[in-house]
Amino acid sequence: MHDGRFDPGGFYEFNLGGGTVRTRTGERVIMLSEAVLSSLVAAAARDGDLTPLRRLGELLGEHVLGGLDRPASVLTPEAILGHVSAVTALFGWGRLTFERWGPALVIALRDKPELDEDDLGAAALLGGMFSEISQRQVSCVPTGDSKFVMVDFEVAETVWGWFKDGADLPTIMGMLQPKRAS
Amino acid sequence: MSDREDRLKSLLSKVRAKRPDERATRAADVLERIRTASGAVPAVQTAPATPPPPTPAPEPPTSPTIDSPTRYSSQPPRVERPLSVEPRARPSSGAPQKSSQSPSRRPDSIRAQSVAPTGQPIVYATDEPEFPRPKTFGDLLELTLSLRPR
Repeated sequence: MHDGRFDPGGFYEFNLGGGTVRTRTGERVIMLSEAVLSSLVAAAARDGDLTPLRRLGELLGEHVLGGLDRPASVLTPEAILGHVSAVTALFGWGRLTFERWGPALVIALRDKPELDEDDLGAAALLGGMFSEISQRQVSCVPTGDSKFVMVDFEVAETVWGWFKDGADLPTIMGMLQPKRAS
Repeated sequence: MSDREDRLKSLLSKVRAKRPDERATRAADVLERIRTASGAVPAVQTAPATPPPPTPAPEPPTSPTIDSPTRYSSQPPRVERPLSVEPRARPSSGAPQKSSQSPSRRPDSIRAQSVAPTGQPIVYATDEPEFPRPKTFGDLLELTLSLRPR
């Protein structure tokens, strides 16, 4: 990746004789219909355990990291977005973009599979992916309109509570402020 | 004599040099005020039909103590007080420093006019940006992960 751009060519290897599909890193993947996956995710959300989706996000993050020639932290947001949106699209998870809301990074995931009503499945997937990319534990909290604000684990529950109480994204942004270095 | 008094005298001299007519008018005003204050009959009422015997004419006011301090201190020539080179002296601690000048000179009003910046709001020069503009994805990440409830 000397030019810093994601190369989707040859990402999947279809072995019709063997009946398998693998990524170019050798990982086996399977195709699932949205309807089937949504019922699985809805059940997981009800049980409060979205670990499998977070793990799937981590796998996507590994694919992103595999395409980077330098650590993600030193690259531009545009370069990271190029790789992340390409991997997300290749796995059929929709069209991903970044938004800046003041100091906050907000991820918009359009045309994603409709898995559960609160978008907790997509939130878990994004959280796993960006945790893997940044090598830090991050949370992506749903804020409506297919948008997720990226915050620290410690405040994720609080932000989620605000959203469930009816606060929209601008309101949530108004209730957050950067922590000053002491 | 303080620097301020020196400056006022200098200003007075310049004004007189530039505007002799006004100087004469002011001198007449001052004379009239002195006469009135001392109980003398105003000159306009005592002016005889014939010229009075020659008497030594009073000197026009040359000292700030004679002239009205408000006249000069409330409308100082702007050129005499640079806008930017003089920081405002503030007492560091304790009781405020007592000025040796009369309160009627209203030095504060002069300073308020002179130190006001011209056309540039101070807020833009002194306020820090609310948050730095990130350059890398790592910068962006640090900012968003630093968010806490207010």
